[in-house]
Amino acid sequence: MELLSKLNSPFLYVLCGGIILFVAVICIVFAVRAYQAGKALGIDVSRMKRVITASATFAVLPSVGILLGVIALSGSLGTPWPWLRLSVIGALHYETQVAEAAAESVGIGGLSLSGMTSEAFATIALLMSFCIMWGMVLVIFNGKAYSRRLSAPKQTQKTGKDGKKKTGLAGFGDDAMTAMFIGLVSAYIASYIGQIISGNGLFKFSGSWLPLAVALVSALAMYVFIKLKEKWNAEWLDSFSVAGSMLIAMTCAIFLGKLA
Amino acid sequence: MEEKKNTANQAAYEQYLKKTHTLGRILTAAVLLLLLAAPFAIGLFLGAMPNLGAAAKAVLGVGLVYLVSGIVEYLIYVPMLGAGGSYLAFITGNLINMKVPCAINARDIVGVKSGTPENEIIATLSIATSSLVTILVLAAGVALMIPLQPILQSPALQPAFENVVPALFGAMACKYYRSNRWIALIVLGVMSLLFVFVPSLIGSTSMMVIPSGALAIGLAYLSFRRQHRERGDGK
Repeated sequence: MELLSKLNSPFLYVLCGGIILFVAVICIVFAVRAYQAGKALGIDVSRMKRVITASATFAVLPSVGILLGVIALSGSLGTPWPWLRLSVIGALHYETQVAEAAAESVGIGGLSLSGMTSEAFATIALLMSFCIMWGMVLVIFNGKAYSRRLSAPKQTQKTGKDGKKKTGLAGFGDDAMTAMFIGLVSAYIASYIGQIISGNGLFKFSGSWLPLAVALVSALAMYVFIKLKEKWNAEWLDSFSVAGSMLIAMTCAIFLGKLA
Repeated sequence: MEEKKNTANQAAYEQYLKKTHTLGRILTAAVLLLLLAAPFAIGLFLGAMPNLGAAAKAVLGVGLVYLVSGIVEYLIYVPMLGAGGSYLAFITGNLINMKVPCAINARDIVGVKSGTPENEIIATLSIATSSLVTILVLAAGVALMIPLQPILQSPALQPAFENVVPALFGAMACKYYRSNRWIALIVLGVMSLLFVFVPSLIGSTSMMVIPSGALAIGLAYLSFRRQHRERGDGK
């Protein structure tokens, strides 16, 4: 508990809030420059204002979903650090997975406050920053060249299943990314199955079933979200489905934990 | 006269793009340095620096997955987001769940095409606006959460916070497994057998993501090639 109060201390709020403020200033600078360049290019100001209004309203619901992610992570990592990570660069599923892997590597077993130490937290924070920086690194070193190449006359492109035009590489790129996440998710869910069956000795069936039960509840909640989205044609539900399913499953964990 | 105006517009746009790249690179590098320095600053405050050996071990596991994922995201999304939009989107994150759909929505609303100067401006405006909204919503939410911290830290709620990861993987499994049932079934089956017969691997699950991911990508590639052959693209 003492560590958690340090993780929620004013120092961390100022540090994380300062970085977030810096990023907010960057957004304002880019927006103002784009607006002025748009006016110089002769783009109708009312169209640009429409884009700003539409984007602001579009972002509200997903932002509330991201806030639920901050709440979900705040119990194990304090509030300021998840606030920073989910305001800047991160996404809930990336952050949680990397934090879990980092927690495992530092020897505290998993992402939980009970085993958390100062060293473990500092290591987890570094890993969260390091593992998800590749997009930024690529855009720094290759962004200009790649953008210029894209501005050059286009070669023949193929059309994907979803009707979007894709190059051959990008066509498999989508599939590869999905496959990679299937591999990642499967490794963890399989470890929960292995934990139940052989966690306390080969085929003893006495390991903890709580993680698998929580995963199943979350999957079921997600299934309901998907079905509701399809039935009502409610695309906005997508913004809440992952965070909503997680919160439902985590609430069930409180009750299931008493049985486990 | 019209031609002269177009040439001037083109020159102004080229100048804008050049400055966008310079500014984008400098500011992205600055944010990256701040994000990497923050854990060390926190370490100094907590009196314990990050364990670099353990960090390197984790990088070999899950870090490699995100390296590949980062490259794929970069290749796919930069063409959609334009130069300014890409710098902002990679700084502010949440690409798949917000920035990309938001930029596409904005583009559809005003009816511009990818790769045009209009798309560059619209995407940058859209991503900057959505990022600012997220920052404001999260700041307001966090301010409201401060009084709730004693409740969030109560022992009764700890089983919930200790199961954040299974909750996440359950939701993601439902999302990804639905459209890739066979790949998911095979990978989950193989990995389950591995963990059941070699339970010592359970403590190194993040490392086991490598063979699991490789198996899934291999199966996805076979399926991708088969689909192309069936459509006659592979000839």
